[in-house]
Parts: sequence; structure tokens; C-alpha cells
Amino acid sequence: MDTGSQQPAIETSGLTKRFGERTALDGIDLQVPRGCAFGFLGPNGAGKTTIIRTLLGLTHATSGSMRLLGHPVPAERAQALQRVGAIVEEPRFHMHLTGRENLRIVAAVRSPETYARIEPALTRVGLAERAGHKVKSYSMGMRQRLGVARCLLADPLLLILDEPTNGLDPGGIQEFREMIRAMVEQEGRTVFISSHLLDEVEKTCDAAAIVDRGKIVTQGAIADLAAGGGARHELILGVDDRDRALALLGTSELVAEARPDDEGIRVVLAGDPQTAAQINAELVRAGVGVTRLEPVRHSLEQRFLQITSRLDADLVPEELKA
Amino acid sequence: MNPTIAIRMVGADFLKLRKKRGTLIWALVLTLAPLLIFFIVKAVQHSSSPAEHSPAGGIGGYQDALRVLAFFFGPLAGIMIGTDGGAGDLAAGVFRDLVVTGRSRLALFGARIPAAVGLTWLVVLAGYALTLIGTYALSSGTPTPGGALVVNGLLFTLFSTGVICVVAVGFASLTGSRPAALTVLIGWQLIASRILENIESLGSSRELILSQAIAHFSPISLNDGHGPRGGEVVTMSTGAAVAVTLAWIVIFAGLGAWRTRTMDA
Repeated sequence: MDTGSQQPAIETSGLTKRFGERTALDGIDLQVPRGCAFGFLGPNGAGKTTIIRTLLGLTHATSGSMRLLGHPVPAERAQALQRVGAIVEEPRFHMHLTGRENLRIVAAVRSPETYARIEPALTRVGLAERAGHKVKSYSMGMRQRLGVARCLLADPLLLILDEPTNGLDPGGIQEFREMIRAMVEQEGRTVFISSHLLDEVEKTCDAAAIVDRGKIVTQGAIADLAAGGGARHELILGVDDRDRALALLGTSELVAEARPDDEGIRVVLAGDPQTAAQINAELVRAGVGVTRLEPVRHSLEQRFLQITSRLDADLVPEELKA
Repeated sequence: MNPTIAIRMVGADFLKLRKKRGTLIWALVLTLAPLLIFFIVKAVQHSSSPAEHSPAGGIGGYQDALRVLAFFFGPLAGIMIGTDGGAGDLAAGVFRDLVVTGRSRLALFGARIPAAVGLTWLVVLAGYALTLIGTYALSSGTPTPGGALVVNGLLFTLFSTGVICVVAVGFASLTGSRPAALTVLIGWQLIASRILENIESLGSSRELILSQAIAHFSPISLNDGHGPRGGEVVTMSTGAAVAVTLAWIVIFAGLGAWRTRTMDA
């Protein structure tokens, strides 16, 4: 089967969806590379579920184009979805049937060889022993896992998971995260996760896009997003002579910006993180005692709140659209 | 579509319906209980006063039981199961999970019909078996139906309940709501149709009533005053009866298929 293995797992161009006067998706250009966990972040009502529903053909796009695993949809929707597994919103099942019977129903709709994947999928998500029980007796976490097992019936190259950790307890979230990482790192699958839980995306995903009010605000590797669009590396310096250090740092080619703050001096590096050692050496050579040199870990949450609060004020930063 | 997949999809829909214990048990109860009550009451009456009351079984008992089964409670079972088949995936919220497999929505709809009709027929066959048991066991030496009538009665019962079940699947798929479809169809089929077909001033327009078109194919007389229906059957040609029956099937199955294909999942 040709699944266009060189092409992105998901690719949209100018994807727009309107419900009457309301624009839910406004010209979405999205590229999800293969073999990674990709987060689709946004506040409630930003359009996360709408794009998933549109990609999967659950609702029609108003305009724009999209490709799944290299196949244009809706033109080649059936071929595209053969190797896609998806959970849209919370996983739903026939409650009066057992977990195994629910999988049999989906296997019947997919290809005949899918039946052979039922037991491995149940084992993979740790539900083999409870598969003969009715789903109405399952906890939310078990239903999420059964939802993933249902996805695995497709032997998916791409998994699309909508708010997958909703309703899970901390232990369940940890298990889920490990399962996603294993799917990406050991099995080479692509996992597209929509979520409003920034911490979760930061811990699980390699890259992400931030969506708000139907528009992609920014996308890229998690570290780059957290740093603010480009590769922005910062340090906190503790020194015995702040004024002298600031003067030296202000003239250094290794430093893009240096300013005092509550913790000492915040330095934005002009180059890569390894230049921190050179800066330390310069300060020491100049007779400034360095008591602390600590890289700043940027939080995606901080960045997300920064972006969305600026959006709230209708101050969409041009640099974020890059 | 690959026939193997089609058969498996029908099997999967059959599984969903068969395991719906509430629907299945009530369909069986509503099919069997009236027949049991009918035969028991008639048997008691006959044993208490043989001269005044005919035997519960025999040809007379068979005809009465067939009216109960093929015209009232069999279709009721068909409506119960058909509406579950038509709206079950939507009600459970799994329709979208079936759509995202990439399988054609028309194929998903198509699988519902044979599954629902198959289960309805199983329920109705149990009712028909009870009818035959009562007919022969309680005949008290009176004439019993011949093989041809038994076969024709069975085919008519399957036809009657099957048609109503297909309409129910289509209508439930159209509305997306089992309770709504169940209420409307029971109200129409078991109440409104009975009233309308007895309003003579409506004339030949009554031929459009599905139960009248179905009644045209009945192997037993329906206007002898013994059945649950008290009114006369509207006289129509076989061609008209076929056309009306097909129209009901095509319109409701078509609407159900259209809605399944076009709705936001």
C-alpha cells in the first residue's frame, strides 16, 4: 500500500471551516512530520476538535486542502484512513457489549486481517484480562485504553487523539504518556495529540502547534516554542559585582541581552548554550566572581499564556506567525 | 465491497442487537405473551363451555393467532428492533468511530437492515412456532391448517414484520433518535393507521397506508370480524399493493441512507 511515506503525516493548507457566520478554522496551514508525537495546543473552543473532525471526514471543510499520510482527503479518504486510528473527544462504546466485542465490531468494519489484531491490541493496553467484561463496568481510564486498542486495530501509522488524558488520574496519565512515547520511539508511529493541558504536551510531545480562535499561532519543536519561536537560550548569573558584570556583558559578542532581575543577571545568549562557559571565563578573567550560572528552562505553559494573553489583547505578534 | 466484509459487518450489527437484552426480551415478551394469553383464555373458555366456545386451536385458532402475530405484535417487535438497529450507533456515540475507519457510510447503513430484519425474524419465528403449537395441540379434533397455509402464513408473517422493520431502520437512521422513532412508528402503525383505514370517506387514498398494502398479501381473511382489526380491508390491486410497499421501503430506507451519508458524525 502506498502511504506516501516521504510526505508529512498530516498536511493542511488554508483549511477553513465555518458554521454559519462563525469561523471555527481560519486558513489552517499545518504540517505534522512523521515519527513524532505532535501536540495541538489551544484553549477550549480554539478549534482543536473541529480540525480533527474535519481531517477525519466527520464534518466537511468549507475550503482548503488536506492530506493524511500523503493521501488527499476527502478524495482518497478511505485509503488514508486505513492506517489511521483516532479517538475523537472521549472514547465511546456500546456499553452493553464487552471490550472484546466492541473491538470485534470495529474489526468487522475494517479489513478481514484486523481480527487477528484484537488480542494483541488488548494485551498492548493492558486490558486482556478485563476484555470479557461489559464496558459499562470499565473506569474512565480503562475506556481510554480500550479506545487506544481500537485505534491499534488499524496498525496505525498515524494516531489522532483528542484530549486523551481527560478523566485520567495521575497514574493513568503517566501510563498513557509512556505508551505514547513507546509508540513513537519503538514502533515509529506518528501521534497527533490535541490538548489544552500544556504540561502534558510538553512532557509527551516532540513538537507542537498552538491554535487559538481557529488560527495556528505558532508551531515547531517544543523547546523552540517554549523559548519563544527561535532557539533562545538564557542564563541566570549570580556575581559579586553586578554593575561591573553588566558592563562587561553589555559589550560581549556572546551576549544578545543582559539585564538585572531578582535572581541576579538574566543573560540572553547570542549563540548556542555552550557559549555560557566562555561568558563565565570572560567574567572570571575580568575579576568578577561568578557564584551562580544556571540555564533558564522555559516552560511551554508560560509561553502559551504569554501568546494567548497577547491574543486576548488583540496584539497578535508578527514574529510568532513565522 | 468485499462480500466477506459485508457479511462480517452484518454479523457485527446483529451482535449489537442480539446483546441488547432489554430490547430483545421485551420484543420476545410482546410477541409471545399475547399469543400465550390468547390460547390460554380460549382453551379455558372451550373447556368450560365447549358448545359455546370453539377450540383454541384448529383453523380458527390459527387464523386468530396469525392476526395477532402478523398484524400487531410481530410488527411491534420489528419496530422495536429496527429502531434500535437504525439509531443504536448514534445513541452509543460510536458512529463516528465507525466512520473514521474509512468505510463507506452507505455500507454502514446497509449492514443495519439485514441485521435488524434477521433478529426480528428470529423473534417472530418463535411466535410462529408458538402459534403452530397452539393450533395443533388445542385443536380438539377440529380441522387444522394444511401445509400450504402453514407455509403461506409463515411467509406472510416474515414479509409483514420484515417490511415494517426496514421502515423502522430507515426512519430511526433519519431521526437519529430511537425514542422519537419508536414513538412515531408505534403511533402510526398501531394507532393512526388503524383509525385512518376505517375512515371510508378517505376512499382509495387509504391504499397508501402501509398496513393495508401488506394486508393485501395475507393468506387469511382479515375482515371476518374475529381479528384485532375490526374494519374492512381496503380493496386494491396486487400491483398497487406491491408499489405502495416498495415505496415505503424505498422512501424510508433512502432517507435513512441519505441522512447517514450526509450527517456530521
